[in-house]
Amino acid sequence: MLKVDSINGYYADLHVIKNLSLRIDQGEVVALFGPNGHGKSTLLKILCGLQHPKSGTILFNGENITAYPSHRIVELGIAYIPEARDLFGDMTVMENLNLGAYNKRARHSIPQNLEFVFEIFPRLFERKNQLCSTLSGGESRMVAVARGLMSEPSLLMVDEPSIGLSPSLRSSVFEALAKINREKGITLLIVEQEIRDALSMANRIYMIKKGEILFEKPSAEVDINEIEKAYF
Amino acid sequence: MESFLNALVSGLISGSLYAAMALGLTIIYGISRIFNFGHGVIALIGAYIAWIFVQNSKIADTSLLLGILVAIVFLFLLGFLLYRYTMNPLMKKPNWEISTVLFMLGLGILLENVILQIFGPRVKSIPVFKEGNIRIGMVQINWHEIIIIFIVILAIFLLNLFFKHTRSGQAMRAVAQSIPGAKVVGIDIEKIFGYTFGLAFVVTGISGILLGTKYYMNPHIGWEWMVKGFVIVCFGGLGSTNGAIYAALILGVVEALATLFLSAMWVWPIWFAIFMIVLLIRPQGILGGRV
Repeated sequence: MLKVDSINGYYADLHVIKNLSLRIDQGEVVALFGPNGHGKSTLLKILCGLQHPKSGTILFNGENITAYPSHRIVELGIAYIPEARDLFGDMTVMENLNLGAYNKRARHSIPQNLEFVFEIFPRLFERKNQLCSTLSGGESRMVAVARGLMSEPSLLMVDEPSIGLSPSLRSSVFEALAKINREKGITLLIVEQEIRDALSMANRIYMIKKGEILFEKPSAEVDINEIEKAYF
Repeated sequence: MESFLNALVSGLISGSLYAAMALGLTIIYGISRIFNFGHGVIALIGAYIAWIFVQNSKIADTSLLLGILVAIVFLFLLGFLLYRYTMNPLMKKPNWEISTVLFMLGLGILLENVILQIFGPRVKSIPVFKEGNIRIGMVQINWHEIIIIFIVILAIFLLNLFFKHTRSGQAMRAVAQSIPGAKVVGIDIEKIFGYTFGLAFVVTGISGILLGTKYYMNPHIGWEWMVKGFVIVCFGGLGSTNGAIYAALILGVVEALATLFLSAMWVWPIWFAIFMIVLLIRPQGILGGRV
């Protein structure tokens, strides 16, 4: 589905992604681990077109999307949920969700997608007319994921879904993600620091360090110690 | 009492004209964070285009309507293309905040001189929509001013509908609130900025036409209009459309009362004194915020 071939990416002047290659198959849940500042977020931004690599290619379903701007990539079916959420604070939850379906493809299925989104996040239904700037951290996170789902993606990339959430909220966000994968067949790429949670739902993991892939494994074969060791 | 009431009404009328004038400025700033220093000249272009169509008529007729339509189309394209070929490349460079301001300022001076070459330095005006006046109690108001207020209210209403209920309008608000968020949901922000400039130029041109019917115009008056718009927009809160409307009405009434009780000479000093006091106490303006 997604094939990344030896890309190089920069954060300001820093060479943070070095000759990195990876692939994601249809229907998979892939977790991306690695210490902070080692290029995980930059990689996601490159994959969704917010930044462009200096070299290398990115193929999505066979189409070369390396130089595409973000709005074309969304149109093709890749959604990115930034860690910073980037919600529209002066708009209601409903307005944010409708804007999630901005691309032409998603416009026609707004009612079905809304129904699914409210089913996995019933809390958002209660808050649908509330301004996003008045939501709690957990609710904002839910809106961010829901807004991404409204774009009707086939690949959903989530940057640190659990950051800043209480353990109970954290597990409900992970449950929601699992359900998205299971019921909608949406492929997931998750960057996460909560290794155990992410490991339990992922099929495969990539460990990234200093902008390079340190190793790649099916999660069943992963020894949690080797991941923790890689962090230091 | 009678003169006080009449001053109040005429203040609200000029206030609504100033509101129309300030809207285009605040729309562009609120969405793109560019401060359009060519604003006054854009308003003048609208007024002069309308004038071309009505120069031979004594009263407003369908030719004025045609002139307004041509001005709308011309200004939309001007705004869209100007963004695309000048603002867009400038915004990708460092220090774009100042380079865009200087560019628009330079463009304003250039266009002012183009207008001077084409239309000459003499004062012109656009005929009023409808002659005659009516009396309501102690207040005398002419039909033309009633129509102006109606047009301004209608324009504000339509703009609100546009921002609330159309996809492009919602996308503009989204871009104003979070550019990364807008990109993430798949909004082509460069296209939206282009539409924003087109829309704001149209609104500005219409305000210029209204000003040209109530007052007069010459190639240089755009700067005076722009300074007024500038004061209103800063007073109301940069980027806040509602703030601009309130500020324009307040300053319109202040202008009328200052003229009545002191003299017209006092209008500018009082405006600026209020403006600076507001800035000192509340730098974000009365309703600092976004579109």
